[in-house]
Amino acid sequence: MPGRDGIAGLICLAGSLGLLAVSFGLPQVPLVPVGPGFYPRIILTGIALLSMALIAQDWRARRALASGQESRGGDAVSRAGYGLVLLSFAVFGAYVVLLPLLGYRIATALFVAALQILLEPPASWRGWLLVPLVAIATAAMTWLVFERYLSVLLPRGTWTAW
Amino acid sequence: MFELLGQALIDIVQWKYLLPLFVGTLVGVIGGSLPGVTITMTVIVVLPFTFGLDPLQGLACMTGVYVGGSAGGLITACLLGIPGTPSAIATTFDGFPMARNGEPGRAVWLGVWSSFFGGLLGGVFLILVTGPLAALALEFGPWEYFSLFVLALAMVAGLTEGSLVKGLLSGAIGMLITVIGTDPIMGVPRFTFDSPFLAGGFPFLPVLIGVFAFSQIMSDVEKLRQPGAATTAAARPMLSVSQLKVIGEILTRPVLLLWSTIVGIVIGVLPAIGGSAANMLAWDQARKMSKTPDRFGKGTPEGIIASESSNNANVGGSLVTIMAFGIPGDAVTAVMLGAMTIHGIQSGPLFVSQQPKLAYGIYAAYIVAHVLMVAVIAATALLLLRMTRIRLAVLAPVVLTLCVVGAYALNNTMAGIYVLLIFGVVGYLLVKGGFPLAPLILGLILGDQIELNLVRSIMSDPDPWLFITRPISGGLLLAAAISVALAIWQHLRHRERQAEAEPDF
Amino acid sequence: MSKTMVRLVAAALFLTATLPAAAQQYPDRPVKLIVPWAAGGDTDNIFRPFAPLMQKHLGQPFVIANVSGASGTTGAREAKSAPPDGYTVYAVHDYIHSVYYVGITDINYWDFEPVCLISATPSVLTASAKTPWSDWKSLLEDAKKRPGQISVGATLGSTSHFFPALIEKAAGIKFKYVSYDGLAPRMNALLGGHIDLTDSNLTQKGKVDAGLLKFIAIASDQRDPEMSSVPTLKELGVDVSFEVSRGLLVPKGTPAPVRAKLEDACKKATAEPEFAKAMKLQGTQARFLDANAYAAFLKKNDEVNKDIARDLGLLKR
Repeated sequence: MPGRDGIAGLICLAGSLGLLAVSFGLPQVPLVPVGPGFYPRIILTGIALLSMALIAQDWRARRALASGQESRGGDAVSRAGYGLVLLSFAVFGAYVVLLPLLGYRIATALFVAALQILLEPPASWRGWLLVPLVAIATAAMTWLVFERYLSVLLPRGTWTAW
Repeated sequence: MFELLGQALIDIVQWKYLLPLFVGTLVGVIGGSLPGVTITMTVIVVLPFTFGLDPLQGLACMTGVYVGGSAGGLITACLLGIPGTPSAIATTFDGFPMARNGEPGRAVWLGVWSSFFGGLLGGVFLILVTGPLAALALEFGPWEYFSLFVLALAMVAGLTEGSLVKGLLSGAIGMLITVIGTDPIMGVPRFTFDSPFLAGGFPFLPVLIGVFAFSQIMSDVEKLRQPGAATTAAARPMLSVSQLKVIGEILTRPVLLLWSTIVGIVIGVLPAIGGSAANMLAWDQARKMSKTPDRFGKGTPEGIIASESSNNANVGGSLVTIMAFGIPGDAVTAVMLGAMTIHGIQSGPLFVSQQPKLAYGIYAAYIVAHVLMVAVIAATALLLLRMTRIRLAVLAPVVLTLCVVGAYALNNTMAGIYVLLIFGVVGYLLVKGGFPLAPLILGLILGDQIELNLVRSIMSDPDPWLFITRPISGGLLLAAAISVALAIWQHLRHRERQAEAEPDF
Repeated sequence: MSKTMVRLVAAALFLTATLPAAAQQYPDRPVKLIVPWAAGGDTDNIFRPFAPLMQKHLGQPFVIANVSGASGTTGAREAKSAPPDGYTVYAVHDYIHSVYYVGITDINYWDFEPVCLISATPSVLTASAKTPWSDWKSLLEDAKKRPGQISVGATLGSTSHFFPALIEKAAGIKFKYVSYDGLAPRMNALLGGHIDLTDSNLTQKGKVDAGLLKFIAIASDQRDPEMSSVPTLKELGVDVSFEVSRGLLVPKGTPAPVRAKLEDACKKATAEPEFAKAMKLQGTQARFLDANAYAAFLKKNDEVNKDIARDLGLLKR
C-alpha cells in the first residue's frame, strides 16, 4: 500500500506518460525547426522522472517505517473538517453553474447567503437577519462598483436577463 | 531624473491619484494585518477594482496595497504573536515578546518606522537601478532569458522546505499547465482533446487566483469546527510611545538597517523568492552579526528592525524586476504585472524610457505610499486588531465573490470562472499532498516565456552550445546548477542529521 | 415553483419584453466591444479612442472587453457565440482571414455581419540600428548574398508574417523567421539586435528619430507626409502594398435595424476630427467604409490572404 506521496507520484507518472504518448501525435509545422511537441515532451519527461523519484522515496520511507507503528491521532476531527471543505466546494460549484443562468446579482446573493449558513449556521434571529443582509449587500455593492463606476460588465442571466 | 521625480510627486499628491493610493494602502494594511489573508490574496481581491481606473490610478492603488500589505502584518505579529502575512513571521520572534514585556507601543512603532526607512531605502535603489538594469535587459536575447528563467525555477524549487523532488515536480506541473491550449508559436492545439474550453488554454491569472485563494480559505474552513480555534480577546494595549525615541533607536543602528535593507532588496530583485524569505533571512543575518545574539527572540529591537526593514525593501527590489525585465518575480508581482497589462502597459526594458511619466508615477506612488502607511497604521492600529476577529463565515464568501469577479473580468468570459474552480480544487489537493505552491506558481508564470525563448533561440541559431558559450546565459545556467546542487547537499545533510529522530518526511 | 416553471416564466417574460421593442429601443444598455488582443496592443490603441466616440453617437456606454489568447481566436470565438442582439460587437483586423487559412481556427469573416471599416495602418519595414544597412538597396544586396540568414521577427501566420513574406516573393530573397508575438516584444528584440528586421508602423517614429531603429520602406501607395523621408516599397521597385485594416463586425443574425444604428454611429464617430487626430498618433489613417463596401472589401481581402497563405506553404484549407 503506497503512502500519500506514492499515490501522488503514481498519478503524476500515469498522467505524464499518457500525455507523452499524445504529444507524439502533434503535427510538425513549417518554419519552426522544432514542432509544438518539443517543449511539452521535455516537461513531461521531467515529470515522469521526478514522479518515479517520488515513488521510490515513498517506498523507501514506508519500508523504514514498517517496523515502527503507523497510526496518527486526531483523525475524527480532521474528517469533519474535510466534510465542510467538500460542502464549501459544492456550494461554490453550484454558484459557478448558476451564475450564467441567474445572472451575477441573484447568483451572488444566493451564494454568499448559502456559504455563510454552511460555515456558521446562525444561532439567533439576529444571526439569521445578518445573513441575507451581508448577501444582498455584497451582491449589490460589487455590482454597483463594477458595473457603474469601473465599467466592468458582469454576467447577465440567460434565464432572468437580469 | 530628479525633475521627473519631482513632477511625479506633485502629480501623485493630487486627489485623482492620492485617493486610489490611499485606499490601496489602507486595504493593503488591513489585508496584511488579517491573519490568513496574504498580500497575494489582497492584491488579487483589489485587482478587479482597478480595471476601470486610468493606468496610473490603478497602479498607484496596487502599489499602495503592496506597500501597505508588507507593513500591515506587523500589527498582529507584535500584539497577538500571529503574523498577519508570511512576510511578518520574523517580526513575531521579537515583537511579541517585547509587547508582552509591557512595551507594545515600542514594538509596533519600531516595526512601522523600520518598514518606513527600509522601504524608502528600497525606493532609492528602485529609482537609481531600474534604468541601468533595463538597458542591460535589452541586451538579453532569447538565450539569456531562457537561462534566467531556469535559474529562477531552480532557486525557488531548491528553497522550498521539505522535499526537493516535490518542489521540482510542483514547478514542472506549473509549466505543464501553460502547455495546454494552443502553442504560442503557431497556434497548434496541444492536449485540448477537441474541447473548445481547453482550446483557450488556462489563462494564468484565474489559475493563480484559484490556487491561492482556495488553498488558503479551504485550509481555514478545515479548522473552523476545531475546538480552541477562537482567538483570545486581547486587552486594549496602550500604543502611545515617544516617536522620536523609536526613530532614534532605528537610526542609531545604521549598519543593521542598511544590511537588512540590502538583504530585502537582493531577495526582491531575484525572481521568485519573495517577502516571506526576506524577513527570515534578514533576521537570521542580524542575529549572526549581533554582539548579543542570545537576546534575539526575547524582544530585542534589532530583531524587529531587521525583519520589518527587509520586507518593505523587498517590495522595491521586486518592482525593479518587473519594471526592467517585464517578468514577475512571484505571485504578487505577477498580479501587479497583470494589472499593468490590463491597463495597456507593456512592461519591459523599454518601459522606463518610453513611459517615463508612468514609471516615475509608480516611483512617486511607492514613496508616498510609505508616508500613508505610517499614517494609516497610526490611525487604525487598534481598529485593525478588532477587524482580525471578522468571522470566516463572512470573510470567505465575500473574498470568493471578489475572486470570481476578478477571474471573470480579466477576459470577460465565464471560462475564467471555470478555470478558477478547477484550479481551486487542484491547488487545495496539492497543498494537502504536501506540494509547495511557490514553484507551481512560478512554473505557471514563466512556462510560456521559457518555451517562447527556447524556440526563439533555436529559430535564431540552431547551435545549442550558445546557451553555454554566451557569457551571461552561461553564467546564469551555472548559477542554476549550483543552486540545485546546493539544495541537494543541504537536504542530504539535513536528512542525515534527522534520520534517526524522524524517518517520515 | 419548479426550475422548469421558473425557466418558462422567465423566458416568456424575456421574449415579450424584448422582441418587439428590441429594434426601436436599441441600445438600452451598455454595448460590449470585444477586442481580441490584450490591452496596449496596436488594435487596442486604435479602438480605445474610438469607443468614447461610438458612445457619444450611440447614447449608451461602449465598453471595450479585451478577450485575448490563441492568436486572437479566443475573442473571435467569444464574439461568434454571443447573442446576435447588437450588444456584442467584435473589433477585427485582417488576421481573421489568415488564421483561418493557416488552420488555427475554423471561424472566418462569414460567421459575422459587417458593420463598418474604421481605419487602415500601412506597414513599415523596420531594421535594427545594429544592422549595417542604410537603405533598401544595401539590404537587398546583403539578402541576396546571405539567403536565409537575415532574421525577421514575426507573429507567425499573422499580418506581421505575411508582410515580409510578400517582400521576399516580390524581391526574390529569403529571410529567416523568429517568432515574436506582438509589436512590443518585437521592438525589444529589434532594439537589442536579436532580430534584424520586423514589420512595424509609424508609431515607432520616436525611436527612429532617436537613432534606435531604421525605417527601410513603407508599404503604402504614397509617402506619408509625417515621415516623408521614408520611401514606399513601390518606388523602390518592390510591388508590395500592405495595410492592416480594422473594422467592426456583429454576430450573424443581428437584426438589420440594429446594424443600421451601429453603422450610423460608426460613420459619425469616424468623421469626428478627434478620431482622425487619435489615428494620426497611431500611424494610421481613419478610413470609413459602410457595411456594403466593407462586405466587398472583406471578400476581396479573404482571397488575397488565401493566396499568400498558399504561396507560403501554410494553406491548410
